[in-house]
Amino acid sequence: MSTAVDTTAVVTPRSLPFTDDLDTGGFFAAAARGELAVCACGSCGAVLHAPTAYCAACGAWAAEWRVVAGTGTLYSWTVVEHQTHPAFPVPFTLVLVALDDEPVRLVGHLPGRPDLEVGQQMRARFDTRDDGTVVPDWEPA
Amino acid sequence: MTTADEREHRDRCAISGIGTTDYSRNSGRTDLTLAMQASLAAIGDAGLTAADIDGIVSCDMNLVRTNDLIHTMRLDNVEYWGEVGPGGVAPAGMVGQAVAAVRAGLAKNVLVYRALNGRSGRRYGQAPPSATVEKVGGNGSYDEFFAPYGMNTPGQIFGMVARRHMIEYGTNEKELGAIPIACRNRALTNPGAQMHGRPLTMDDYLAARWISDPLRLFDFCLETDGAAAVIVTSTERAKDGPKPPALIRAIAQGSPPRPQPGQQFPILWRDSITDGSAQAAARTLYRRAGMGPDDIQVAQLYDCFSITVLLQLEDFGFCAKGEGGPFAASGAIELGGRLPINTGGGHLSEGYIHGMGHIVEGVKQIRGESTGQVEGAQTCLVTSTALPPGSALILKAA
Repeated sequence: MSTAVDTTAVVTPRSLPFTDDLDTGGFFAAAARGELAVCACGSCGAVLHAPTAYCAACGAWAAEWRVVAGTGTLYSWTVVEHQTHPAFPVPFTLVLVALDDEPVRLVGHLPGRPDLEVGQQMRARFDTRDDGTVVPDWEPA
Repeated sequence: MTTADEREHRDRCAISGIGTTDYSRNSGRTDLTLAMQASLAAIGDAGLTAADIDGIVSCDMNLVRTNDLIHTMRLDNVEYWGEVGPGGVAPAGMVGQAVAAVRAGLAKNVLVYRALNGRSGRRYGQAPPSATVEKVGGNGSYDEFFAPYGMNTPGQIFGMVARRHMIEYGTNEKELGAIPIACRNRALTNPGAQMHGRPLTMDDYLAARWISDPLRLFDFCLETDGAAAVIVTSTERAKDGPKPPALIRAIAQGSPPRPQPGQQFPILWRDSITDGSAQAAARTLYRRAGMGPDDIQVAQLYDCFSITVLLQLEDFGFCAKGEGGPFAASGAIELGGRLPINTGGGHLSEGYIHGMGHIVEGVKQIRGESTGQVEGAQTCLVTSTALPPGSALILKAA
């Protein structure tokens, strides 16, 4: 495994998702339609998270994208105080949200140090980045 | 259930030599020089020469390749090499691969090494190489679900894990703080430790700056330039060497079901983020060793973060699930306690060689040569278990 480090490389000013991966791209395609979706098996219905083409539960190669409600509860969080990436000035809070209707958790970003309580209701929102990429995110409901 | 086959390696191999460089913030040397220095020290410590080394096991995150050492050290008789990963969860598994090679007759004396300029070179606490790419993710990394939100360092993952452990079990910050304090106390008697001469009190710990709440500065391990290496051979050959052999009682690698795909961030998608990966390695290790936690007198626990240690105290059965905080705060992990840990200072206070230094310190305990010696220590647990599926081993006096 090559882990050669380019010590002259510059950290990018912004951080966008790669949206064309054959296994995960459907998440961002749904977001572009204003929908939050998870990957699921079209044969047996099992959720496939992390998104993947294969269902180990039934052996099918029938992955599809299932729209979800866009609501969830706060599972955990961390307040980032140490600056590491210029696209994300500290302080900010990373949240981990458990979806209400599927066994899936997703990460989100809140600015600053909001007052949070485990289990509080969260709702999805859609953030259009400056290059037009739509990225699902989360906020207190 | 233990099979006769998996008992075959029990006590049959040993670590016959250990070597490290100094640990610093700026080594002034290449990774290759560091690797060679540690390797030469280990070879000499084992009473061997370069000609005796016929096997090498590397870590996937070493920049120094096995052929680099074969070439530059004139290891002219190598007939086996291997590589284990990923990164810090490899070392016990690296020793395990060496054991397998020796037991299969593929090598007699195996050099196992880890070298990195972890402070003057690539620093794991800064944004990773993915941060130099504008569109992050894809190719099975799943970074697209994390990096665009600002999640790009391990400390942020462990911050979420620590918060969840506090939620589920009531763990508090002083219980967490007991762990870096114990490691610092061991560094005070270890002149080779980076934090030697710098005591850490609970007030110091609590007053230090936040990195990723609830984790503060001293919850994070050091970043280190350095290298560590060991020589693995048969117990018979080790007994002929100049130093007391540290028998390898057993080794294990283990994974929970559905641990995570990708490298680290998808760990947050597990059913439970407070059940450590170590549970699986612990079960397999104790089964193969024919031992339990009561047989362990001292432990070198992988401490990339304080919370990592806390989870392992639970996962290796030294206390009940959820009780890692009170156990750590009770004094049990200090010298004289039930289970002294990280007796050279660990990653938190000695130096961060990605778990290889823990194997070296474990051997010192068995030899009776540790700067934080546990009197009468006969068995030492050494772990390479963080959050990804990892490895662990038990060392034993002959």
